Amino acid sequence: MLKNYIKIAWKVLLRRKFFTFISLFGISFTLMILMVVTSLFDHVFGPQTPERDTDRLLFVNSMKEQKEGGYTSSGPPSYYFLNKYVRTLKTPEQVSINSVFHQVNSYVNNRKLAIDIKFTDQAFWHVLDFKFIEGAPFGQQEVKSASRVAVINEHTRQQYFGDGPALGKEIVVDQVSYRVVGVVEDVPVLRLNSYADVWVPITLRSHEFNREGLRGGYFAILKAATPADVPKIKEEYAHMMKELERQKGEKDLQLYSFPATILENFARMVLGQGETSGLRILYAALTGITLLFILLPTINLVNINISRIMERSSEIGVRKAFGATSKTIIGQFIIENVFLTLLGGLLGFILAALVLWQINSSGLIVYADLSLNLRVFAIGLLLCLVFGFISGVYPAFKMSRLHAVEALKGGSK
Amino acid sequence: MIRHLFKLIWNRKKSNFLLITEIFFSFMVLFAVLSFVVHNVRNYTKPLGFTHDNVWLLSMRPSSDSAALNRQNLEQVLQRLKSYPEVANISLTSNNAPFSFSITSNAMTYGQVKDVQADYYEVQDDFQELMQVPLKVGRWFGPQDDASNHEPIVINQQLQEKLFGNEPAIGKLIPITDSSSYQVIGITEYFRGAGEFASDAPAMLTRINFAKRQDKFWESLLIKVKPGIGVAFEERMVKDISGITGDWNLEVSMLEKMRKAKAKVTLVPMLGLGFVCAFLILNVALGLFGVLWYNISRRNSEIGLRRALGAAASQVYWQFIGEVLVLATFGLLLGVFFAAQFPLLEVFQVDTEVYLIALFSAVFLIYLLTAACAFYPSRQAAAVQPAVALHEE
Repeated sequence: MLKNYIKIAWKVLLRRKFFTFISLFGISFTLMILMVVTSLFDHVFGPQTPERDTDRLLFVNSMKEQKEGGYTSSGPPSYYFLNKYVRTLKTPEQVSINSVFHQVNSYVNNRKLAIDIKFTDQAFWHVLDFKFIEGAPFGQQEVKSASRVAVINEHTRQQYFGDGPALGKEIVVDQVSYRVVGVVEDVPVLRLNSYADVWVPITLRSHEFNREGLRGGYFAILKAATPADVPKIKEEYAHMMKELERQKGEKDLQLYSFPATILENFARMVLGQGETSGLRILYAALTGITLLFILLPTINLVNINISRIMERSSEIGVRKAFGATSKTIIGQFIIENVFLTLLGGLLGFILAALVLWQINSSGLIVYADLSLNLRVFAIGLLLCLVFGFISGVYPAFKMSRLHAVEALKGGSK
Repeated sequence: MIRHLFKLIWNRKKSNFLLITEIFFSFMVLFAVLSFVVHNVRNYTKPLGFTHDNVWLLSMRPSSDSAALNRQNLEQVLQRLKSYPEVANISLTSNNAPFSFSITSNAMTYGQVKDVQADYYEVQDDFQELMQVPLKVGRWFGPQDDASNHEPIVINQQLQEKLFGNEPAIGKLIPITDSSSYQVIGITEYFRGAGEFASDAPAMLTRINFAKRQDKFWESLLIKVKPGIGVAFEERMVKDISGITGDWNLEVSMLEKMRKAKAKVTLVPMLGLGFVCAFLILNVALGLFGVLWYNISRRNSEIGLRRALGAAASQVYWQFIGEVLVLATFGLLLGVFFAAQFPLLEVFQVDTEVYLIALFSAVFLIYLLTAACAFYPSRQAAAVQPAVALHEE
C-alpha cells in the first residue's frame, strides 16, 4: 500500500512540474535555514571539541554581588574565591581554574598578530578534551614551577612557523618568550571557557592569587564523575555560597554565582534574575520564534496543496464511491506530503551543507567549524516530518470531507 | 466596480482566508525587517562627528595593585609617547573610546528636565585636534579651564535640545552634586562614539584634568600617528613602553579595525535577516502565483460567459488584477492595524519616522508583489476565447 502511495505521489510530482518546483523550493529553503540555525546553536551550546562531555561539565563564569541599597556589580570571579571555595568542593571529580582570555599583541617578521592568551592550570587539560596535533599539555611540574611553556593552536603555529612543526621552539607573545610544548586544533571563539590562541601556566600570574576580592578575571570548570552528580554539585555549590554570605556578615549582602552549563549561563546572562536561570523562558522564546518562522512557509504550502489536491477531486470521488473511508484518504495525502517534504529535506540538507561550508570559509566566526553532524541530522529529519505533517493535514482533511457525487463532478465551489 | 470586487472577494472569504493570512504575515515580516534596515541606514548616513584616520588605541592593564606606582608609570608612558617624532597627538580617554564595545552613560538634570541619559566620555584637551571634532558654537576645553570652578563640558546637539530646548546653552550650569556643576562651553552637532550604526543619542565630553586628579588612572590612550607610520613603529613603541611598565598588559588596536568589528555586529544580523526575509517573500510570491494561476484557470467558463456577453479582454484582465489587489488590501488592513501599534505604543526606542517609512514601503512592496504575481494569470484569462471556454462546459 505504502509503495503504491509513493508511486502515485511521484507521478503527481512529475505531472505539474511548476507546482512541484514551488513546493520543493519552499520546503528545502525553510529546512535549510532551520538546519543552519540548529548547527549554529549546536556550535555554541552543544558538545564540541574540547568541551565533549557536556553532560558532566559545569562552568562558573560570573559572580554577582548585591550590596546594601541595591548596588550591584558583577563579572568573572577572582582566583582567590575559586581557589579557596570552589576547588575545595567535595562532589566534583575535578576542578580547573583558568583566566579569562585576553588579547595581546605580538610582532612577527614585521607583522602584527593579535593573540588571545589564557592562563590555565594543569587540570584544564584533563577536564577538557583537546585534540593534540603535536606534543602534549604542560604538566603538574611546569605549573608548579611557573615555567614559561605554552600550548598553541594550529592557526598560531601557522602564523609563527609556517607549515613546519613547532615543538620545542620559542615563541614571543607580549614581549615574553615561551617554549612550545604542544599544538592543538583551533577552538571556536564562541567557546569562551576553552578558547584561546595560546595557553600558558596559570602560575605566571601568581601575583594576582592573593587579591581578596570576590571578583577578578577567572573562570572555573567543574567536572562531575557521572552526569547524575551534576545536581549534587549545584546543591553543594549553593550551600557553599550561602555559607560564604553568612561569613562575610555584611548587611543585605547577596551573592550570586552558579555552576551551570553553557546554555544556562547564557540564559542567565540574558534573561535570568537571581536564582532562576531563565532557561525555560529562553526555550519558550526559541520555540516561539521557530514556529513563527515556519508559519509563513507552512501556510504557503497548505495553499498550494489545496490547489493540487483539488485537481484530483475526481480521483477522490472514484475512491470514495468504491468505499474508501475519509481516514484512508487523509492517510494517503499525508503520506504523499511527508514524502514530498522528505524530498525537500534532502535538498535542504545539501543546501545547508553548502551554506555552512561558505560560513566556515568566509571567516565570519573565528575558527568556526560548523558541520551537519548526526545530531543536527536527526533534528532536521524531525523538522521535516513535523513540517510535512502540518502542511498536509488541513488540505487532506478538507478533501476527505467531499461527497463522492460532488467530487466526481469536479470539486466543491 | 471596486465595490463589486470587494463583494466578489467577500463572498469567497472562506477559500480566500488562507491567502489573506499569508499576505498579512508577509506584510508583518517585511515591516519588521524594513524597520530594522531603515533604522540602521538612517543612522549610518549621519555624520560621526569625528575622524579616525591614523588613530590607534593603546589599552593598558596594570598588573600591580599599587596605585601610586601605576600612576607614576602612566606619566612616564605619556612623556615617552610625546617625544616620538612619529606621534602627532595623544589623549587619554575613558574606557568607552570611539568604536569600543563599552558604554558609559550619565543621568543629567537641568531645571524641570530630569534624568536625561547621556553618553559620557572623558577626554583630554588634545582630543579635539586628534579626532578633529568640529564645534558648532563655543570652544573646546584647554589649560585655561584649570582655574575654573566648574567642570567644563562639550555637548552634542541632541543633549542640548533635550536639556535646554531652544534656549542657548553656552555657559549654562548643570548640577553634578550639591556643590559642583558642569558648565557647557561648546556644542558639536554630532558625536556618535558608539559607531556608525549607533543612533544619534545625547552625548557629553568632559575634561580629564590629569595634573589635578593625582589618584586617578586611565586605561585607554588614543594615539594619532603621522601618515604612513606602520607596524614597525608600533612594535618599537610597545617594546619601549613595556620597558617602562614591566609586566603590564598592553594592547594596540587601530580605530579603523575597531570600526569594522563594531559594524560587523550590526551588519551580519542585518544581512542574515535580509536573506531570510527575501527567501520568505520569494516563497510567498511563488506560492501566490501558483494558486492564482490555478484559481483563475478554474474560472474559464465564467470568463467565457463574460466575454460572450460583450466584456472586452482588457476588462477581464483588470478584473483579475483588481481582485488580487482587493485581496491584498484585506491582508494589509489587518497588518497595518498591528504595525501601527509599534509607533503608537513606542515599543522600541526608534523614531516614528522610521516606522512610517517602513510601513509605507512594506505596503507598496506587497501591492507590487501581488500585482506582479497576478500579471501572468490575468493575461492568460484575458486571452480566453469565449467559444472555446463555453464549449468546455
